[in-house]
Order: sequence, then C-alpha cells, then structure tokens
Amino acid sequence: MFEFLAHSAWLIPCYPLVGMVVSLLWTPSIIRRTGPRPAGYVNLVMTLTAFLHGLGSFPSVWNHPPQYLSIPWLEVAGLDLTIPLEISATTIGVGLVVTGLNFLAQLYAIGYLEMDWGWARFFSLLALFETGMCALALCNSLFFSYIILEILTLATYLIVGTWFNQSLVVTGARDAFLTKRIGDLFLLMGVLAIFPLAGTWDYRELGIWAQTAQVDPTVITLLGLSLIAGPMGKCAQFPLHLWLDEAMEGPMPGTVLRNSVVVSTGAWILIKLAPVLALSPLTLTVMIGIGGVTAIGGTLIAIAQIDVKRALSYSASVYMGLIFIAVGTQQQEAALLLMLTYALAMALLIMSTGSVVLNAITQDLTQLGGLWSRRPITGLSYLVGAAGLIAFPALGGFWALLKLADGLWSTQPALVGVVLLVNTLTGFSVTREFSLIFAGKPQQMTVRSPENLWLVTLPSTILAGATLHLPLLLQRLALLPHWSDLNHTLALLLSGSSLIGCGASAWIYMGDRIPKPVRIPWAPLQNFFALDMYTPTLYRSSVVLGVDWISRLTDWFDRNIVDGLVNLIGQFSILSGESLKYGNVGQTQFYLFTIVSGVFVITAFLVWPLISPLLGSLF
Amino acid sequence: MLNVLIWFPCIAAVIVALLPQAIAAHRVRFISLCLSAVTLLWTLWLVSQFDLSNPTFQFRESLPWLPYLGLNYELGVDGLSLPLLGLNSLLTWIAIYSSRVDTERSRLFYSLILLISGGVAGAFLAQNLLLFFLFYEVELIPFYLLISVWGGTQQGSAATKFLLYTATSGGLILAGFLGIIWFSDTTSFTYEALLGQTLPLNIQYVLLILLLLGFGIKTPLVPLHTWLPETYVAASTPVAILLGGVLAKLGTYGIFRFCMVLFPEAWAQVSPGLATWAVVSVLYGALAAIAQKDIKRMVAYSSVGHMGYVLLAAAARTELSFVGAISQMFAHGLILALLFHLVGLIEAKAGTRDLEVLNGLMNPIRGLPLVSALLVLGGMASAGIPGLVGFIAEFLVFQGSYATFPIQTLISVVGTGLTAVYFVILLNRTCFGKLDNDLAYFPKVNWSERIPALILVTLIVVLGLQPAWLVRWSEPTTSALMAAAQELTPMPRLFTAKVLSHQSPPLLSVLEDSPST
Repeated sequence: MFEFLAHSAWLIPCYPLVGMVVSLLWTPSIIRRTGPRPAGYVNLVMTLTAFLHGLGSFPSVWNHPPQYLSIPWLEVAGLDLTIPLEISATTIGVGLVVTGLNFLAQLYAIGYLEMDWGWARFFSLLALFETGMCALALCNSLFFSYIILEILTLATYLIVGTWFNQSLVVTGARDAFLTKRIGDLFLLMGVLAIFPLAGTWDYRELGIWAQTAQVDPTVITLLGLSLIAGPMGKCAQFPLHLWLDEAMEGPMPGTVLRNSVVVSTGAWILIKLAPVLALSPLTLTVMIGIGGVTAIGGTLIAIAQIDVKRALSYSASVYMGLIFIAVGTQQQEAALLLMLTYALAMALLIMSTGSVVLNAITQDLTQLGGLWSRRPITGLSYLVGAAGLIAFPALGGFWALLKLADGLWSTQPALVGVVLLVNTLTGFSVTREFSLIFAGKPQQMTVRSPENLWLVTLPSTILAGATLHLPLLLQRLALLPHWSDLNHTLALLLSGSSLIGCGASAWIYMGDRIPKPVRIPWAPLQNFFALDMYTPTLYRSSVVLGVDWISRLTDWFDRNIVDGLVNLIGQFSILSGESLKYGNVGQTQFYLFTIVSGVFVITAFLVWPLISPLLGSLF
Repeated sequence: MLNVLIWFPCIAAVIVALLPQAIAAHRVRFISLCLSAVTLLWTLWLVSQFDLSNPTFQFRESLPWLPYLGLNYELGVDGLSLPLLGLNSLLTWIAIYSSRVDTERSRLFYSLILLISGGVAGAFLAQNLLLFFLFYEVELIPFYLLISVWGGTQQGSAATKFLLYTATSGGLILAGFLGIIWFSDTTSFTYEALLGQTLPLNIQYVLLILLLLGFGIKTPLVPLHTWLPETYVAASTPVAILLGGVLAKLGTYGIFRFCMVLFPEAWAQVSPGLATWAVVSVLYGALAAIAQKDIKRMVAYSSVGHMGYVLLAAAARTELSFVGAISQMFAHGLILALLFHLVGLIEAKAGTRDLEVLNGLMNPIRGLPLVSALLVLGGMASAGIPGLVGFIAEFLVFQGSYATFPIQTLISVVGTGLTAVYFVILLNRTCFGKLDNDLAYFPKVNWSERIPALILVTLIVVLGLQPAWLVRWSEPTTSALMAAAQELTPMPRLFTAKVLSHQSPPLLSVLEDSPST
C-alpha cells in the first residue's frame, strides 16, 4: 500500500492541477447561478487528497534510497527532454509541507475572502502554486525547474493582481512579474549555457559532472552567477528584493504561501545546484555577500516599517538571505532544515497578523495596539510563530540556526557573527510587531476586535501546534543533534542573542517609556531604512528610466529616420509619377501604372531566357 | 492531392464571388466558412497521410507548363512546408470566422480571402522557383484590395506602402532567381535540380543578398519593416490575422527554403552577420513596441521581434535551431492570430485601442472578463512563458543557436524579457485597473466571437504542453537538410556538446573552435 503510494507520488502535483482546472470553470455566468464558493471547496478537497497521498507514501520512502522515475516529454533533434522525478524522503517531505500549508491557507482563505467574488481566480491560482511547488520538489531537472519557476512568475503576477482595480496592486503585480522575470532570464541563460558543457540538466548527473568538470574559470563563474540570479529574484534578495514588498498588496492567504514557501522555490533550486555552484569560488562568495547584505539590511528595513505585512515580507528576504549564506558555504542540510522551520513559523506569523488585519481593517502598526486581552488565541499564535522563527531554544528555528552557525563556527567565524546579529535584529523586529499589535492600550481601530471566524482562527491554531511539535518530529526522524554533540557555547550565544533582541525591543515598545512612534535621533538613517534604502527610487531613475528612454528613442528613430527615409523615396517616386499623369488624374491610376509596369518588367524577365539564346545566335 | 489545396480555394473564391446579390452578408460568411473548412479538413487528411520517415518531398505533382522557360507546375510537401500549410488552412478559417457578420461587399471580401489562401498554399507547395515567385506575387493584389477597401484609418497610404514594399520584395526575389539560372548551367527552375549546383562564391554573395533583402521585406526584418505597423493597424482583424499569421511566414519560409539551402557556402560566411542582424531585429522590435500607445500597433511590432528569432535560428543552422524555427513560425502564427482577434474584439466592444483610455476590462460584470483572460494568455504566450507553445519554440531556437552564436543568443534572451515588459504594460493598462462605470456600456461578446479565440488558445496550450505533436512533422526533413548542409560546409561551432551516457559518467566539456571552411 505504502509502496504503491510512493510509486505514484507523481500524482501529488496532479491533484491540485485538477482542482485548478475545475475551479476555472466558475466563470462569471456560472457564479451567478452557484456563487463562487464551490470553486474554493473543490480545491480544498484536492489539496487534502494530495496531502494524504504524500503522508501515506512517506513511511515507505523514509530511510530508503531515493527512487528515480522518468516521464518522456519531448525528444527532438538529439535533444532528449525527459522529465526525471526523484521520490525521496526530502522531496516527499517538501511536498507534505507545501500541501499541508496550502490546505491551511485555503481553509484560511475561505474565511478571509468570505465577501470576495473572485474565488475561482484566486483559488485556481493557489492551486497552480501548489502544483508548481510540488512538481518542483519532485522534478529532478534544471530545465523543468526553470519551466516551473517561470510559470510561477506568471502566477505571482496574477495572484498579486487579484484585486486589480487598485492602482498599487497593479504596479505591485507589474514589479513582481518583471523583477522575477529578470532573474528567470538570467537563469534561462544559465540553462542554455550549461547544456553544451555538461550535456545534461538532470541534477544528479550535474552533480556527477561537477566532480570532474574542468571548465574555463571565466565561463563557469559567469554560468554560476547566471544560475544564482534566478533564485535571487525568487528569494527576493538584494537588489531584486523590491517585488516582495510590493506584492504585499495581494490578498493575505496568498501572502501566507508566498512568504513561507513560494520564496523558498529559489532556495530549493540553489540547494539542488550546489555542486555546480561550488565549481566557482567567486559565485559562492557572491552568494554569501548577497545573502549577508540582504539578511542584515532586510532586518533593519523590517524594523523601520510601519506596515506589518511589509515588515514581515522583509523578514522573508532575511531568512532567504541566511539560506544563501548556507548554500554559499555548502551547508545544504542546514539550508533545508532552515527552510522547513522557517516555512511553518513564517506562515503562522502571517496568518495571525492577517487575522488581526482582517477585522481591524488596517495593517498600520501605529494604529494597532492593546489586542492581547481581546485576541488571546491570535496573540499566542503570533508568539509561537515568533519563537519558532528566531533561535528560541528547543523550537525549530533554534535548531536550524544552530546547525547553520555550527557549520560556520570553525571555518567562517565572521559569518557566525552575521547569523547572531541577524537573529538579534529579527528578534527585535518580531517583538516590536508583537508589542505594537498586542501590548499597549487599544486604539480607535482596535477597540472592537474580537477573534475571527473559526475558518480563520483554526488554521493558525493548527499551525501553532505544528510549529510547537516540529522539534519532536525532527527528533523522531533523528534530524536533531544529540545533546553531547551540541556546541554549547554557540547554543548559549544564539539564545542570548534572541534574548537581547527581544528584551531590548520589549523594553522600547511595551509600555510608555519611549514615546511612539519611535524616532531615532538621526532622521535620514531612519528614512533610509523606512524607504527600503531608496531602492524604488534607484530603480526608477536607472533601469526603468533607461528602458523608457531607449524605447522612446527607438520609436522616434523608427517613425522619423527609417520610415521617414522610405517616405522620402516614396514621395519622390510619386512625384515622378505625378509628372507622368499630367497633374489631374487620381492617385489610383498611379498605382495601376506601378502594377502594369511591374508586370511588364516581370514578363520581360520571364521571356528573357527565351530570347537570350536567340540574341546569342544573332551575335 | 496537393492541387486541391491550391485550386479548391480558388474555385471556392469564384463560387463566393458569383453568389446572387440577394444573399445576406452573414450567409456569405457562413458559406465561405464551410468552403474553407473543406480545405482545412483536406489539409488534416494530408497531414495524416504524411510519411514521417521520408525526409524528402512527398505527394509530388508535376506538369510541364512552359518548359522553354523552365517553368513547370511542380508541387511537393516536406517537413518544412507541412506545418506552414496547416497554419495557412487553419488561419484562413479563423480569419473568416473572426470577420464581422455584416461585412460590406461580402462576396468580394470572402472570395479575396479564399484566393489568398490558395495562393499562399501554392507558394508553400511550389517546387519550381518561378512557380513559387508567381504564387508569391499573386497574393499582392487581393491583399492590396483587402487593406484599401475594408481597412480602417489611413488605409489608402498603408495599402500603397504595402504594395510598393511587397512589389520591391518580389522584384528582388525574381532578380535573385533569374541570377541563379543565369549563372548556373541549368535552364530549369526546378528546385531540386538546383540543389546540386555550386556557384562561385562571389556570385553566391550577390544573389544571397538580393534574396535576403527580398524575403527580409516580407518577414519583415529591421529596417525593412516600416510597412508593417501601418499595414497591420490599417487592416481589419481577419486581414491582419492573415498578414501577420501567414503572409509573414512566406518571408521566413523563403529564407530557409532558398537562401539557406541554395547558397550553403555563402551562408556559412554571412551567418555571423545575419545573427547580429537578427538580434538587432529582436531588440528593435521589442523596444519600439514598448513605446507604442496603440495596442494593435504594439502587437504589430511584437511580430518584428519574433521574426528575429527565426532569422537567428536560420543563421545558426543547427538541426535543433531549424526545428525550433519551424515551431516558432507556427507558434507565432497562432499567437499573433489570437492577439489580433482579441485586439479586434476590444476595439469593437470598447471602441478604442488607445492604452491611455482603456482600463479595467477584467471587470467580471461590466468588462470583458473572458477576452481579458485570453489576452493575458496570448500576451504571456508571446512573451515566452513555459507551458504555452511560444516557449518551447523559442527555447529550441535558443538552445539550437547557442552552439553556434552564444553571444547573439544570450542577447536575444534579453529580447524575450523586453517582450514581457510591453505585454505587462499592455495587460496592466487594458485588463487591470479600474473600469470607468460611465463608459462601460459594452456590447455583449457572443459565442461566435469567442470561438475562434478559444480554438487558438486550446491549440496554444495543448501544443505548449505536448510540443512533440508540433515538432515531429518537421524533424525528419530538418535532420536530412542539416546533415546535407553540414557535409558541404560545417558551421563554426564554439561548443561541442557531449551527451552524457549512463555507462561512462565522467566527461569533459570541450571549448574548441572546429576548423571552419
């Protein structure tokens, strides 16, 4: 039974795909008859099926070597595009996290979007994301991973654009699409370039190739850089991080998935590509650099935000930055563990803040406060999420960060410092959000704010349970280090850094010791971080302006130079035609004249071979 | 068998033209639709009879016509022309379907469209250079009339421009063809008789450039393209579909069939220049499209960029790029037809094509939700999003061309990024945003208007998910042609791909310059 489920694991992405296709049938005319809700229920059922299938197949893949399947797709001109699948504990595990979180997010969406009419569109997109991510987990080929990432880029555009009649949503969707697309195109260049070198896109075979590959250092460095550009866009790494912030204009249930698992799609590719990336030391250094800059910069920006969704979106970039550091230092296992613990904790944070945003009707932290007594379940969920995210001893984030820092301990002590700093600052950031939402006195927007409908509250409660139980599960699966192997100094340092961050933040933001909103003495610095290090302005004045100018210039050139020249010749010939027409005949005759003369010339050419021998014989 | 593809539409055109005055326009449309459906079914039957193991011409027909001129009625079909024939029959049917129900002077309109269908089929089938040229030129007059009589704004000047450009193109091609006969020692224009001919290199250059310019106008390639935006914009929807979907393919078809195959040595020498020309076309088309304010013009410019990929593939001349180019021609035909159809619908319902005016068409109650959804799909297909037919075609072109021209290929990839930019601009302005409730009293889109779009979308998605159904038709011919071409003049390769075999995992990649001739 389990064996059979494992063999048919390729069905896992197919269930949500069916859900997507079915829910697309709810066009406006059918919605008028049935309402939009069935479209959501279909997806919920399909997602649950996918989750149960994954759960059923897990026992037979755990502690077993991975199985490889292949599905023929296209074979053309010597290019064999077969879809290779890897069915292993890791890939099924990723599928479980994706489908599980999707199920909770869809349940949440049924409550959250109760009044919305766009269910068919929204749920089919959620299902598309689920399909894409499950397929990405199973698929073992760079080429097909690229395909999936690119489709998800389109899906991001559409899901961010769910509420398309607001102007911020429209620009957010546009920027998300274009930023990710830039990354994707570099990835495509890498996909194109790696094939002639390695002769395969299969990750397994790429790994084998990478062991013995002898490639020109410049080529492999360029290749490595282009391959990390795709994940940079997906993981919202500096300087391609802008879209995630703007994507917060989309509906909250989509954000739950985007911030927790969708951003990790890039990290997944990175982990899969790690052997190839290791061929180029410069690529690894760049990854560590980008990850470090994003991690530290991102937390500082997050602390300066007053919009809770945006603050959390920067925290997503931060953790992806840590994963970049992990892969850059070749610690794939730590990266995977961090991805897992991060996904659950972040989803929980977004769900609980979303629950507040839903009936406080604002996501502005300065307008919230005093909700602890009114929203104890949400408050507890938030606390669990925050504790699971940062290095809070015994919870998931602690083990993941410990593993990461432990790997850096002997080789790259400076990076341990980065991890500690990021952990401190993240602790500061999440505690700040908690204090501003739940502590203090109620404000106008939060006076009447009861717990939400069970559809919204229950998923976050379940997820809080999952986050709390995650370490137990990890221990059962023997993924946690034994107590005697533990790096005690590091464990203490990590716990201490969390304590310092959270404590400092609580001291500042709880109570009235410091007047709110908090201003740091030097305003330009605060603005620098509050305005995302001026990245939007930078983009507008460089890339956007550049493309705009060049396209206008091309258009001008096209209209005036290229076409102008042609028109000049045309006018000249029309003038000469006019002289033939003695002035008073309509233009039509000129065209007729052209045609007739053309036909004459053609006929002359046609008969030429006939008369040329005649002429030849004459002379 | 192949005669039917040419002469049935012509007979149908005569029948439609001779229908009594009393018959209403929508009846004429229906009759033409049925007649072109017969051609489409016949094409499908031919496809089913096509022998995939045979790389040469099939279903040959041969009749002596004017043997002293070397002009014979010789037809044949191979893997290069078969997909394009299918595209022609399909898009003719779609074009008739997407025409207005109340077209004025409908009998003339539909008979001209049917005539074009027969003529284009003739050009794709012709195995004689002069015959090809005759069919190539015969489309000119019906198109001229279709643009100038049923066109939109400034149709007069657009039609004239089209006529002048295309006549020039015809002249250049004729000159090239005559030159081939002149300088080689045959007197026949039969295509296959010319295959073995080797001309002196400098003569090859001259003739190749003549033909390239001729076909470049039709394709069109920058800077020979300025007839295109005006003509496409002035033409009515069905005519624009035929112009962009089918007629432009005659240009690329000619580049492959004649330029590349007849002048292998010269081709190998000029191909780096051609690849660069292709890149310029790709970037120029995309950048010009970004600056447009009229959605039809934007779609028209997208065509310039997409044809650039085909030239890149032709320049690279690998088996993979060749298959990719044929797929790209087919895919581009489908996508462009879809986009023109939808743009035509938006113009008909919302009354404008101006990006500054259009807004919020995705609105499910007052807007055009299905049209918008399909427009998103069409735009994304054109921008090369995987899962749709445009992607796999472009990918095969890129992967195939990368082996020969890595730099040019990578720059072309940037072109697909710019394509995404203008389609996002188009979609954001037309589909997204807030619908102005005072203006939004759009007529209903009825099913007969949706069906052509739905058929095209189905094809785009199905062939995108299952591209094997598209590439299999051309593969035998392309591999045979490439094998012949490589034997004659190997292209300089930068990379030699070694395919990983499971028995011997370790392998070395080689960066080498193979000796060029």
